[in-house]
Amino acid sequence: MFDLEKSIAEWRKQMLAAGIKTPVPLEELEIHLREAMEQSVRAGFSDPVAFDIAARQIGNPKVLKNEFKKSERTFMKKIMIILAGIFVMFIGTRLILPALAAYRDMGHVWNSPHLKYFLFGVAIVTAGVGTTIVGFKKRKA
Amino acid sequence: MIRKELVAASAEPLILSLLAKGESYGYAIIQEVKARSGDKLQWTDGMLYPVLHRMERRGLIKSRWSESETGRKRKYYSLKKDGKTAMAKHHEQWSLVHAVLSGLKKEQYV
Repeated sequence: MFDLEKSIAEWRKQMLAAGIKTPVPLEELEIHLREAMEQSVRAGFSDPVAFDIAARQIGNPKVLKNEFKKSERTFMKKIMIILAGIFVMFIGTRLILPALAAYRDMGHVWNSPHLKYFLFGVAIVTAGVGTTIVGFKKRKA
Repeated sequence: MIRKELVAASAEPLILSLLAKGESYGYAIIQEVKARSGDKLQWTDGMLYPVLHRMERRGLIKSRWSESETGRKRKYYSLKKDGKTAMAKHHEQWSLVHAVLSGLKKEQYV
């Protein structure tokens, strides 16, 4: 006797074994599986056949996992670029602030090494801001 | 049946254009694409979700969990502003390809 819940539990196990994460996207895939199966039953197929058709339509767990991995990798790359940009901005600020403090302490006069640090810091912060913007704008997979 | 490469390339513009009509969920999106293409454009159902998730991460679409009228939980996707812009770009590019192809086809009959 075909037991739908048992078959779905078995299908979930295969998905989890391939590395498909729960609740997202596994829940979404299971909802799809159930809906596709109901549609096949309405079209006249028996429960076990309808389940097989729906499971096949969802696809091979390993192939699916690879596709999800691609999108996760893109997301991680974007986060890494943003974090690198913020880190570079932080380094630049660490050069600018002491240079500004020295400028104030010297009675608002630049001396050569501090001005160099200040300009270098500004350049680094600008590079950091640019990198962060690139990170936010990165869209291509 | 449409070739695999073309199916993959057309996924994003089709999803964006479908969602431009209003929010929808995975199963309904697949059914509509199948119906509109006379079953010629067929996706492996599961493959739709990595595409949807990627588009969501890129800020083209957004999603929300909601219950359907039958009480079934579903994840609904809808278009964001960047998605509309991306859709317009897709339409422009696909129209161009279509125009070039049509022009060349016409010339063959001259």
